[in-house]
Amino acid sequence: MKRLESICWVAATCIGMSLIANPAKAQDEPFRPVAGKFPSFEEALSYRGELVFVDHANRRGSLRIQGQGTYFRNAPHPFAMLPYGVIRYHGAPADLRDIPLNTVLHIRAYLPPDPQNSAVPVLAVDSRKKTSGYSGVGIYPAENHVLLLEDEPSYCLRENKTWKLTELEIKNNAGMILASREPNDGKQDKASAESMTFDAATRIWRGRECLAVDDLVGEGIWPVSGKKSLEGQEVLLGITWKPTPSGVFTRFHVSDIWLDETAMQRAARSQTETHKAFIRSRWMPAWVDAVEYGKFGRATVTATLFGGMDESLYADFTKDGSAMMNGVESNLKHTGGNYGPSHMASRGRILDVMKIDGDIPMGSSGIQIRFETDLIVEGIRPTRVVRVCPNSWPQVNLPREEFIGDGSNPEARFPTPAIFPKY
Amino acid sequence: MTYLKSGCWFTASWIGLLLLASHASADDEPFRPEVGKFPPLKNAHAYRGELIFVDHANRRGSIRVAGTGKFYRNDPQPFAMLPYGVIRYHGAPAELRDIPLGTVMHVRAFLPPDPKLSTVPVLPVDNKDKDVGHYRGTGTAPAENHVLLFEDEPSHCLRERKVWKLQQVEIEGNVGKIIARREPRDGGEAEEPTEELTFDAATRIWRGRERIHVADLISEEAWPEAGKKQLEGQAVLLGITWKPASGDGLSGAFTQFHISDIWLDDEAIQQAAEFQKETHKSFVRSRWMPAWIDAVEYGKFGRATVTATLFGGMDASLYSDFREGIGAQMNGAENTLKHAAGHYGPGHMASDGKLLDVTRASGDVPLGSSGIQIRFETDLIIEGIRTGRVVRVRPEGWPKMQIPREEYLFNNSPEDRFPKPDIFPEY
Repeated sequence: MKRLESICWVAATCIGMSLIANPAKAQDEPFRPVAGKFPSFEEALSYRGELVFVDHANRRGSLRIQGQGTYFRNAPHPFAMLPYGVIRYHGAPADLRDIPLNTVLHIRAYLPPDPQNSAVPVLAVDSRKKTSGYSGVGIYPAENHVLLLEDEPSYCLRENKTWKLTELEIKNNAGMILASREPNDGKQDKASAESMTFDAATRIWRGRECLAVDDLVGEGIWPVSGKKSLEGQEVLLGITWKPTPSGVFTRFHVSDIWLDETAMQRAARSQTETHKAFIRSRWMPAWVDAVEYGKFGRATVTATLFGGMDESLYADFTKDGSAMMNGVESNLKHTGGNYGPSHMASRGRILDVMKIDGDIPMGSSGIQIRFETDLIVEGIRPTRVVRVCPNSWPQVNLPREEFIGDGSNPEARFPTPAIFPKY
Repeated sequence: MTYLKSGCWFTASWIGLLLLASHASADDEPFRPEVGKFPPLKNAHAYRGELIFVDHANRRGSIRVAGTGKFYRNDPQPFAMLPYGVIRYHGAPAELRDIPLGTVMHVRAFLPPDPKLSTVPVLPVDNKDKDVGHYRGTGTAPAENHVLLFEDEPSHCLRERKVWKLQQVEIEGNVGKIIARREPRDGGEAEEPTEELTFDAATRIWRGRERIHVADLISEEAWPEAGKKQLEGQAVLLGITWKPASGDGLSGAFTQFHISDIWLDDEAIQQAAEFQKETHKSFVRSRWMPAWIDAVEYGKFGRATVTATLFGGMDASLYSDFREGIGAQMNGAENTLKHAAGHYGPGHMASDGKLLDVTRASGDVPLGSSGIQIRFETDLIIEGIRTGRVVRVRPEGWPKMQIPREEYLFNNSPEDRFPKPDIFPEY
């Protein structure tokens, strides 16, 4: 009896200890996005780097990440967009194909949601803390699944910041600009003061005009040579990277200067129109929240449209409008498409369009649709990613690399990280 | 004796037949570029396609080639730039990294010079003549995937002295179609067919220093808000891309391209060319001028005089930095133009020396060559600087810089030197 009591005590102690250990383990477990839930923006790791390689058909690429050391040595670091990951270029929605190589981007990213199916290499979770020779710390974070990828003007517009130009030094249409990124509400952020290069290829946008450095010199705004104080002139900058002489660790390059709001708005408008045409032809991505199964293949599907698109695209989803829904992969590739995505898509009607109240997480549009179809298929299940086309959008055929084909090649559905070179 | 005679005759006949056969075989052998010789442009296969994928560090990528069938069905076709291959964008020298994905390019290409070392898949030599099925038709997968000339539409037109003459615009809601034809700039008979191209609200229109939208042309009443307007042969240059278009299905148009840019006047395209030219000048100054070795005269104790031909297609101001008597550096490079070393910048391992001579070839200079030869004397002749090898050269006026990690070789991985074609997906 005593033996039994002592066994019970040991068992009870073990259960108790394991109960204590479990919450501790859960707290130590690194955060990973979960299927069906938009991850919290605050949990994302933030970093900045130059776009070096793009595989736009699989929504992945490589960045050279700014760390603490010699920037040029940093090997390109693969990243993959989350299916609901948002891309912004020139202050407007964009696709990876729209962003020129060498553009410096701001990133918010997470660990791979499912390491086994990662389209990019899976790294040790503490990689961001590791030192890599002269390159320093932070150049290959394991957080390589991206929620937000935005260029410099998009970042400034979202964060309500501008670049204030302090001083210019010029010779032969090339030189250095000293500037700091500051909040528009006037609070100084001294840490962001940067010295950057510019040259004769730097584009300067003023209203409708596209000017060269030579034009500003010709107008007497900038000197032919020497220094000039720019007295905090407010602009937005496009930033890239070029090799720098003099052994400088990291120095970025100004590719574009937007001198006024009109200029920036016109750039954003062009990019918005590019992306609107893109989404209308590729369909709106969404994921499936719930499926109420009916009879004979009928079902009502509740889906949340992904965020980051132009408002006019969401406005095309109207109650009682007809629509099509097609299964897609995490890289947003359509599952069928040899005769256009509409050929194999499930047809139906939008029963309802609902706007979610409260704060909308990044990645979500905050818009849910209820869609009734008589062809519920394997690709349209809760947490799966789909693309939806309201009836007002044109029916087009997609290029070969943007759909899966007959599904016989697992590599097409789950691209492996093998294409990324090891350095 | 008779037997011997007949044996000799038999042998002689066989030798004769063999000689005939070898001659025939030499004639039938498809043309491939050779090391140390710039191939003639006339031998290149010409085609047009949309840039889909770029591996700029290895000077290769994929394009969707326009054939006789349904354009959207065509698999991306891998291509590799020849080491002396010329890239032009907006009428100026360029690198692959400068060209936006989706741009429709004009290509002049050859069979792989050395199929064993090809960085892109090697295809049967008659592949361009095959109907690949599934409504794609012929011409979409040429084996000629080693590129001598890769140029966007305005560069092609400027080189060939052509313009697009706009005949008619049809528009509704800032979106529509333009009927136009590529014609000789200076008049004369147009040989090319009329094309119908789409445009939309994202199409950029360049006028002098201005960048305007379709909506601006409508508000200025240059274009109607809706309906058709005759444009009476207005001469412009066009930037061309491809987008899926309605009616491009099995019952619709086979291939319809899209207008990304319209340059309305000379000032506008000159400005675009100037931006691109400056971008490329700064690029070549930091990565050095590519060249190949014509000859090496070996001296004693590692000394040698190297004769090299600078590759073509760069801005003239870069060549003028090569002057007799100045100091220079030469570094081995691969066919991808990657520097053989660069962990401390390419200047760290390069051979130092002096330019003894800079000579310009007279007569026709083949595409790929600058027509400029240098004689470079060094006291560090190395394995990478041998006849037929590709090098990069820095005249002393160019800054010493450190280049990014993916643009130089390190630790001599064979895969780095000879990238394999297996990164290209099979469809």
